[in-house]
Amino acid sequence: MASYKNPELREKLAAEYVIGTLRGRARARFEALQRYDPALRRTVAEWEARLTPLSAAAGEIAPPPRLWQAVARRIAGSRRGASAGGGLAFWRGLAVASTAFVLILATFIGVAPRPEPPMAMVAVMNDERGQPALVVSWPPMKAMREPYVRVKVVQEHPVMAPGTTWEMWMLPGGKEAPVSLGLITTDADQSMRLRPALASRMEGAWGLAMSVEPKGGSPTGAPTGPVIFKGQCVKL
Amino acid sequence: MTAEKDDLAARLVDLLAQCALGNQRAFADLYGLTSAKLFGVALRILRRQDWAEEVVQECFVSIWSHAGDYAVQKSAPLTWMTSIVRNRCLDWLRRPQQEATGDEYDIAVEAWQDEAPGPLERLAASSEAAALARCLQQLEGKQRQSIMLAFFHGLSHSEVAGHMKQPLGTVKTWVRRGLERLKTCLGAPA
Repeated sequence: MASYKNPELREKLAAEYVIGTLRGRARARFEALQRYDPALRRTVAEWEARLTPLSAAAGEIAPPPRLWQAVARRIAGSRRGASAGGGLAFWRGLAVASTAFVLILATFIGVAPRPEPPMAMVAVMNDERGQPALVVSWPPMKAMREPYVRVKVVQEHPVMAPGTTWEMWMLPGGKEAPVSLGLITTDADQSMRLRPALASRMEGAWGLAMSVEPKGGSPTGAPTGPVIFKGQCVKL
Repeated sequence: MTAEKDDLAARLVDLLAQCALGNQRAFADLYGLTSAKLFGVALRILRRQDWAEEVVQECFVSIWSHAGDYAVQKSAPLTWMTSIVRNRCLDWLRRPQQEATGDEYDIAVEAWQDEAPGPLERLAASSEAAALARCLQQLEGKQRQSIMLAFFHGLSHSEVAGHMKQPLGTVKTWVRRGLERLKTCLGAPA
């Protein structure tokens, strides 16, 4: 893994990825790496910008009308509500299928003996393939002097790329913009302190998302990097 | 020419934003402006009409559902869309049963070695690719040919080697050196 930090190798792999000679498992692995490494994605984007104009040499070939008919049929079947504007298009597509999993897990968390107050809400955060990556839960905030959320890693995931941090966002739902909860550490089980002002909002949380950000967190107060995990909140 | 191209890019950005809001009319316009370009790209790589249709269909559905992500990509809209198509084509070729046999290649291999072949001429004529065409012409013939076979026709290193009847290592070196030179050339002012 360490070798992926070598700048020359990164450049070479990015070029081969774009030109298409990076194949098979190496290609899949490189795609996975890009998801967590914005700098690598930028290197790839630079190569795409360099080489994609070559595609113009292919010339234009009009596809048969049946292609549009097939595409239009599939688009018509997809339902997408009017967007909430801004970057919220981003958050759509939370896996509904994960809800069943949330409930099973919630039950488990509910009965597990622990010295802390019972949890009030839980969210299972899935990665892009819909696999659960983190479970986040929190007790009723009213009862707490120092509000926190508990973050547990359920599946090993790639490490943070150098120079990046992972920032957790609460999605209030509706048209409201994501609210930063803070940066997580690499611990498998951690408590993340919340600003007291946030505590009262956690009960109404609709979802959570994790984005990759520069060191120190998002400079803008809104997610700027790729979203790697997201999940819907469930009241217990 | 450049203004024309910028107009297209601005129009595509606008249409993608409309698609993100669920505007199907905008999507139809987007399809009208880009489908022939993208189909051409897919057909070159896949070399089979039915495969190209299937892949391009998937890509447009994907473009529709990911239009909202486009803003964060920070690349030109056509580059973004073309990369989606290219990657999907390469995934398709990765499926073991899809490996094309040698004689299906309908590729004007020699063309890439010449200084004034059809496709390269077309490239030079398109303003966005003029710099790229100029830099390609500065490469050695073998470098240019191996890069074009890989990029344009979706051949793997070993397929390029088979095609050019050269050892694999030699071809890998041509591709790598060619790409390095392209990068340097494109970074330099025209």
